[in-house]
Amino acid sequence: MLHTLKLLLPALFPSWRFFDVIAPSPRIQYALFDSGSERITEWQEFRPRPVKVSPLKMLKRMVWNSAWNESLYLVSCAERLIEFPTRHSENEILTRIATELSKVGVDSQNANGKSLQFRLMTIRRVEGRLEQEVVFYSRKDVLMPGMHE
Amino acid sequence: MSLEYAVRLTEMLLGFAFVLQSIEHFKSQNNERWLFILRLPLSLSLLIGFQTSWAVFLLLGLALATLHRFQGPYNGGSDRMGLLILCCLCVVHIAPSDRWQEIAFGYLALQLVLSYFMSGWVKIANADWRSGRALCDVFQFSTYPVSESLRKLADYPWLMFCLSWYVMLFELLFPISLVSIDSLIVMLAITAIFHFSNACLFGLNRFFWVWIAAYPSIIWFQQRIFA
Repeated sequence: MLHTLKLLLPALFPSWRFFDVIAPSPRIQYALFDSGSERITEWQEFRPRPVKVSPLKMLKRMVWNSAWNESLYLVSCAERLIEFPTRHSENEILTRIATELSKVGVDSQNANGKSLQFRLMTIRRVEGRLEQEVVFYSRKDVLMPGMHE
Repeated sequence: MSLEYAVRLTEMLLGFAFVLQSIEHFKSQNNERWLFILRLPLSLSLLIGFQTSWAVFLLLGLALATLHRFQGPYNGGSDRMGLLILCCLCVVHIAPSDRWQEIAFGYLALQLVLSYFMSGWVKIANADWRSGRALCDVFQFSTYPVSESLRKLADYPWLMFCLSWYVMLFELLFPISLVSIDSLIVMLAITAIFHFSNACLFGLNRFFWVWIAAYPSIIWFQQRIFA
């Protein structure tokens, strides 16, 4: 309870420091592994952004933006993991990747003992060049949608 | 604008913002979905003006449960602003006198002013923002642009420079707009367009609806202090 009240304090006394510095930007990538822990897919970006979004779709997203808002939440989880790793943030990302994979057909029926791992990569500008760095690897977890609810 | 009318307008706008947010979670995981299924009727109650005193307190209780569930806000600044408005409305509803109601609602207005002014202040203090480099970085590699094609805007440094100064100046000048109701309305139109652009370009739709919900407080505040 005390911890939750602590989380409330920044809302009551906000600092409003939006975009004061442009911090390294995290990307979530995932891969699937077989039962022998061999990687069986390439590292893939989770929910890569589309090439183009039409103005009509932008307007629609004013009232329905579920997937993007979830992605923004996962960015927060990724930033928390980089700054101060917690099981909660790791579980949130693993669960939501697993749920997304289940939507495209990789569910518990055909997972066949596959496991899932994600890694966090940051992108930042260093003297005019963009640099990428892998900063976190999650644990490998048996693939099952909703596994950490 | 009377305090009563401004509070009611805030409740309606916040109720509407919460309805949109709640529906977005209906297809999510079980333990998360229930929080928002409960939130929907309370948000509707706030929107239509039915038992609003109960609604704001129950919504605050749910907001705390949601903070616990996500170990922080789900969508950063927009959730925090929603919580701030909710807390101020709770105080307005239990305040023992008109004066305390005004203090609670005035606090919301003050925070709205600070939300723009402080954002402008921290940006102008940063050399990367003054040169337009920071906004280039936002478009070039941050997680916010909603499509890859938008990243190409980073190839136009002069556009980034002009947009950076446009944003910093209106954020810093926001408090000055309080001198008259006309200048405030013009400024609120500018900031609403700014939030709308952020929603389209960066997918920050929740900011748009939640910040607009705080606008009645600043209109009331301007008339209370300066009129």
